[in-house]
Amino acid sequence: MLRRISFVVEAIVGVAVIVTVVLLFTNEPEQAPAAPVEAVEAAGGIDGAAVFADNCAACHGGDGSGGIGPRLAGGRVVTVYPDPTDQIAVVTTGRGGMPAFGDKLTDDEIAAVVDYTRTVLAGP
Amino acid sequence: MLLTDTARGTSAAPAPGVWFGGAALVGALVAVALGVYGNVHDAASETTIRWMFTTTLHFKAWMTTVALVLAILQLFGALWMFGKLPLAPAPSWVGPAHRITGSLALLVSLPVAYHCLWSLGFNPDPGGSRRFWHSVLGCTFYGAFATKIVVVRSRRMPGWALPVVGGVLFTVLVLLWLTSSWWFFRTIGVER
Repeated sequence: MLRRISFVVEAIVGVAVIVTVVLLFTNEPEQAPAAPVEAVEAAGGIDGAAVFADNCAACHGGDGSGGIGPRLAGGRVVTVYPDPTDQIAVVTTGRGGMPAFGDKLTDDEIAAVVDYTRTVLAGP
Repeated sequence: MLLTDTARGTSAAPAPGVWFGGAALVGALVAVALGVYGNVHDAASETTIRWMFTTTLHFKAWMTTVALVLAILQLFGALWMFGKLPLAPAPSWVGPAHRITGSLALLVSLPVAYHCLWSLGFNPDPGGSRRFWHSVLGCTFYGAFATKIVVVRSRRMPGWALPVVGGVLFTVLVLLWLTSSWWFFRTIGVER
């Protein structure tokens, strides 16, 4: 009986392996459109890059290419959050695995880092 | 090769070590192929499967943990079958159960590997140590798995091949877990 179950499980795994390989080659990622970058006021001349390096780079990568956290670079955040206030809300209150930064960063720092991800990290 | 040699079973067939070398080569090719894909493929940076978890990363951390638990059961079964445990000889169900747990471990690892490869890609920067070594270990894991499958299916392997490959596979999985799930649980917390 167990032997029969073993064969069935192995067959299922075999199919799953094939499906996974096919998906790796056929599933095209969504292309981030060159959406216009919406301006976010970074008050007080705060260096968004420094805030990013200190607080975000560990998870999102130093260049915003992603890591444990999703990619931010290449205009991705603009695509996901067309309204910058939505992005600010996520940074402030956290979401899922992302911690809240509302208690750690000032509103200006959050605005500056959000602006940085939407402009500098967006690339040309 | 003489016909008489074949009849006597003394043909110039490759030595068991050569067969094992072939199995290792298969594994190496699988590992390299995954690494090349992870490098060449433009990382999608998108969420894939989440199932009942908060994020894909939570899902991955727990699925890798499930794979580790199944691997520990595998190790236990293997030791029992090889008579390395202070127990009575392994009953007949241990073999199939060992295969089932191994297959399930591979099954739960697939969506994890899919997200790693498709969404994140291979991290070629040794300076980013955890991600780099996790990338290397991930590719090695599937290479070792492929080698183990070939070794299990062949009757021409040396006696030490299966325990060695199984041991390598288990060790790599533990290191994979440490560089992913353990890191995740320590950094983000043990949450679903």
